[in-house]
Amino acid sequence: MFKKLYTTFCSLNLGLWLMTGVMVTLALGSFSSASSEQGGLNDMPLLFWLQRAPLGYSWWLWLCVACIAVLFVNALICSIDALRRKGRSVAPHLMHAGFLLIVLAHLLSAYGGFKQQMQLPQGDSFGFPDGERVVVERITGQVGPMGMMSGYRADLRLSDGLHAVQPNQPLFHKGYGIYVKDVALSPVPVALFEVHKEPGALTAFIGALIFTVGNLMLLAQRKGR
Amino acid sequence: MKLLLIISALLYVASIRRPIFVAALGCSLAYLASRGMGLGRLPLIGPQDTLAFFSGSLGLMGLPFIYSRQTAGIRWFCWGCGALAGLFAALALPFPTINMPLPPILDTYWFELHVALAFFAYGLFGIAALLGVAYLQGGGKAALDLQYRAALVGYSFFSLSMVSGGIWGYYAWGTYWLWTAKELWTSILWIFYSLYLHLRLKGQAWERGFAWLGIVGFLVTLFTYLGVSMLMRSSHSF
Repeated sequence: MFKKLYTTFCSLNLGLWLMTGVMVTLALGSFSSASSEQGGLNDMPLLFWLQRAPLGYSWWLWLCVACIAVLFVNALICSIDALRRKGRSVAPHLMHAGFLLIVLAHLLSAYGGFKQQMQLPQGDSFGFPDGERVVVERITGQVGPMGMMSGYRADLRLSDGLHAVQPNQPLFHKGYGIYVKDVALSPVPVALFEVHKEPGALTAFIGALIFTVGNLMLLAQRKGR
Repeated sequence: MKLLLIISALLYVASIRRPIFVAALGCSLAYLASRGMGLGRLPLIGPQDTLAFFSGSLGLMGLPFIYSRQTAGIRWFCWGCGALAGLFAALALPFPTINMPLPPILDTYWFELHVALAFFAYGLFGIAALLGVAYLQGGGKAALDLQYRAALVGYSFFSLSMVSGGIWGYYAWGTYWLWTAKELWTSILWIFYSLYLHLRLKGQAWERGFAWLGIVGFLVTLFTYLGVSMLMRSSHSF
């Protein structure tokens, strides 16, 4: 029984079918309104969305998650099986390990992620769950030659001092990232902020690094063959 | 300046000899360089710039393959690469150039790296598709081996593009992943080439299927690049 299960999960064919399954479900999902910007899928952690969304709306994602879950086991067992045999290159298995970590990262973010959006004028404040206040001290921006914002920033006062937040330069504090998304300067300076928590980010980054190392090793091995 | 793009499109389509292809590539790169110097950044915004960049990427990535000894026997290969690059250069021509400065959210090296690597990958997937056609027309095992190499290097560029896109997304939006049509199709493309690379383990019996998959992969690439932008709403749309 165990051996049969092991052989099944070790199968290349299973992996190929599962990859096809993931592709088909994602392709169907891309035409669904759930994956549109109004679908709400980006507004909350995935697992919360899956619990709340009607099945008629989320079925493709359930199927996709199921395929990825089995693919995760398939990739893990294939790597373990290959590494038990001597003389095998570790490059593809580093790529598998990177992939597995990225899937784990998505799971972490799907469960423990957080996102909140708020529009605040200069001088207003918002609070962290532990009660710490973040005061919006100053909102500034530069208008470019075509009338569009060419740059903007918000100065935020926290318990440890004043910090600037700009596009692509968020403020990380207590495991949360504070992002300034947009700014309007008149009639009063107002900024659109987002507070994010992405518990899988570091795991995804480590996974990506391991994948890249494996990928480069594979390229080096295939060079000249 | 647009004249360089027109000349490159014409030379690409006429590239029955390798020096003509190199001249076309030179014009294409000169056009991109002049656009880049004018803008102070890589020209990667809007259909005109991206199509021209795609054309340049196809030419640049195709260069080592047209000079490979393994493609010497495939008479149409140099012209095939040129025609493909010329097609996208010609498609770029009707669109207006967008000369605005980058919106603050795009004004980061991670964005430029993300997009440039994706286009290098797309270019290599295009070359892989042509090599698939060459194999199916009797180009022999050498064409298939080259197709694998092109796809593997393309896959590596594409993976790096996804990584740099994830880093950019995390600093720009607070998340390395968004559920939008473009991200879904990007994942489909990445999984497609993962499947392609795994299929090689099936051995000789699958060689024709392998060649076909390399051709289909480029169609998926085109849908990911052009189809999603034109047919679906996404943060990645032109």
